[in-house]
Amino acid sequence: MLAGTLSLLLSVLPARSARAETADKPDRYELLAQGTRLVQDGNLDAALALFREIPPPAPGQDAGAFVRARMEAAKILFSRQEYDESAGMCKDILAKLPDNLEAKNLLAQVQAAQTPEWLRFLKDMKTYLPTLLKASGMTLLLVLITMVISPICGLFIALGRISRLKALSAFFWCFIWMFRGTPLLLQLFFIYYGLPQMGVTLKPFTAAIIGLGLNYSAYLAEIMRGAIESIDAGQMEAAKAIGMTYWQAMRRIIIPQTYKRLVPPVGNEFIALIKDTALVSTIAMVELMRAADQIFNATFNIFILVQAAIIYLVLTSIFTVSFRKIEDRLGVYENR
Amino acid sequence: MIELQGVVKHFGSLKAVDDVDLNIEKGERIVIIGPSGSGKTTLLRMINFLEKMDDGKILLDGTEVGYRRDKKGRLVLEKPEIISALRSEIGMVFQHFHLFPHMTALQNVMEGPITVKRESREKAREVALDLLGKVGLMDKKDAFPAFLSGGQKQRVAIARALAMRPRLMLFDEPTSALDPELVGEVFSTIKNLASEGMTMVIVTHQMGFAREMADRVIFMDNGKFIFEGQPGDLFSSHMENPRVKTFLKKVL
Repeated sequence: MLAGTLSLLLSVLPARSARAETADKPDRYELLAQGTRLVQDGNLDAALALFREIPPPAPGQDAGAFVRARMEAAKILFSRQEYDESAGMCKDILAKLPDNLEAKNLLAQVQAAQTPEWLRFLKDMKTYLPTLLKASGMTLLLVLITMVISPICGLFIALGRISRLKALSAFFWCFIWMFRGTPLLLQLFFIYYGLPQMGVTLKPFTAAIIGLGLNYSAYLAEIMRGAIESIDAGQMEAAKAIGMTYWQAMRRIIIPQTYKRLVPPVGNEFIALIKDTALVSTIAMVELMRAADQIFNATFNIFILVQAAIIYLVLTSIFTVSFRKIEDRLGVYENR
Repeated sequence: MIELQGVVKHFGSLKAVDDVDLNIEKGERIVIIGPSGSGKTTLLRMINFLEKMDDGKILLDGTEVGYRRDKKGRLVLEKPEIISALRSEIGMVFQHFHLFPHMTALQNVMEGPITVKRESREKAREVALDLLGKVGLMDKKDAFPAFLSGGQKQRVAIARALAMRPRLMLFDEPTSALDPELVGEVFSTIKNLASEGMTMVIVTHQMGFAREMADRVIFMDNGKFIFEGQPGDLFSSHMENPRVKTFLKKVL
């Protein structure tokens, strides 16, 4: 009983489809072939008209000729920048065959071409911004750690420089001379690629922190030395006159007075630091510059670099405003 | 109380202080006058070791203090801690005040007792308020120096020195940087201090100090004392010394 029904079905189905095909096939494939010849002859208008004539297949019918014809039409329309029409052709195909890859791709291209530049920029941003922001986290981390290390080291170096002990002063003079007198890039290379040859292998992050830290300590030390020496000598005398030792006077009287004078030049240094962190991308650190560079190399999308630039600008602007605020707050004791 | 013996100070080839002896008794008020460059300020600064002397002795209560001799026999200052301890017993007021600009008037006065004497904040504050009241600046206790007049600054500076409870006060031209109308307030503050029996040495161009509060007046010229005596003698018509006479004629 069951076998009988099945064999009946099997016998009917192919017969039906075969009959349908034999009825339509010459007509539709013939049109398609004619259209293709017209395209080859350069008669695009006529070809387009022909391709459009081919009707959608009835249920169960072979869709091959229809899909080809619509696809060719969509391509011609796309090349003529008639985007809405072209998209319509693609959608016709997808209505019948929702998974057709060729139609999907062309539709995406059409839609991309239809999108205004600024909207495309925003869309790209949505795609790549999370990656860039994550990488800026590393940039910010490098900046913040260097901002903690370098003022502390810088102060010690500055105090060493103004010390009466000739050897100490000379040692720190050499340190500053070396780190201010050579490129940061070279210092980073030396620490990351050079030290392993002497048996000291460092992780990229450690190498980056040491390189940035030492370089910025040297710069800040000179700024701090200048600030300390700019404080009126009478202050040290007055502090000594009430019985303070040199170190008490430094800690309580001289150094606190340098804070306000330090903020503008140190703020400048820290803004330079934000940008200098880009250099550590050369020693295998993935931070903002490196991440942007990687995406740019993969996509050649120039907007990625614009996005990275915007993030750098946001960071530097936050710093500029913050340092301005700090300077105002530290200046309360001045009569202006 | 403090005695200087044979004190010498050179600046290059210039003899700023030339073999000077000075004995300061407890409660004594000494005024040193003389033309600019005569060595009076240098002498004053040597009393609290801000200037290192080249030769001589400083005795505190009869004991030599502050210096030792190195192998070559030259005078060198004692260790910084010893010098600081000596200085904390000697108050100094500067011509240009040198208040700590990042601290309020009250904080300026409290700073010494807290940092140097390790006194509690409460006690230091109590003493500081008392002293600010004494110099008439209670209402300015929370003002930063930049917002005070010259006279007010100098009075805070006096209170700052007094907060260390010094045995001796040194004044280095305390009114020279002041506008004439502000001299009076500082002058009377110092005069009050004198009336309380504070031992003090004042270097000044202001003859009022010599006339009104000096027990002894010293006239210094070219690093030497060329007159030493009662203020009455200095201003008397019997003054013989021609240098003193010309100087007084100029300043009076």
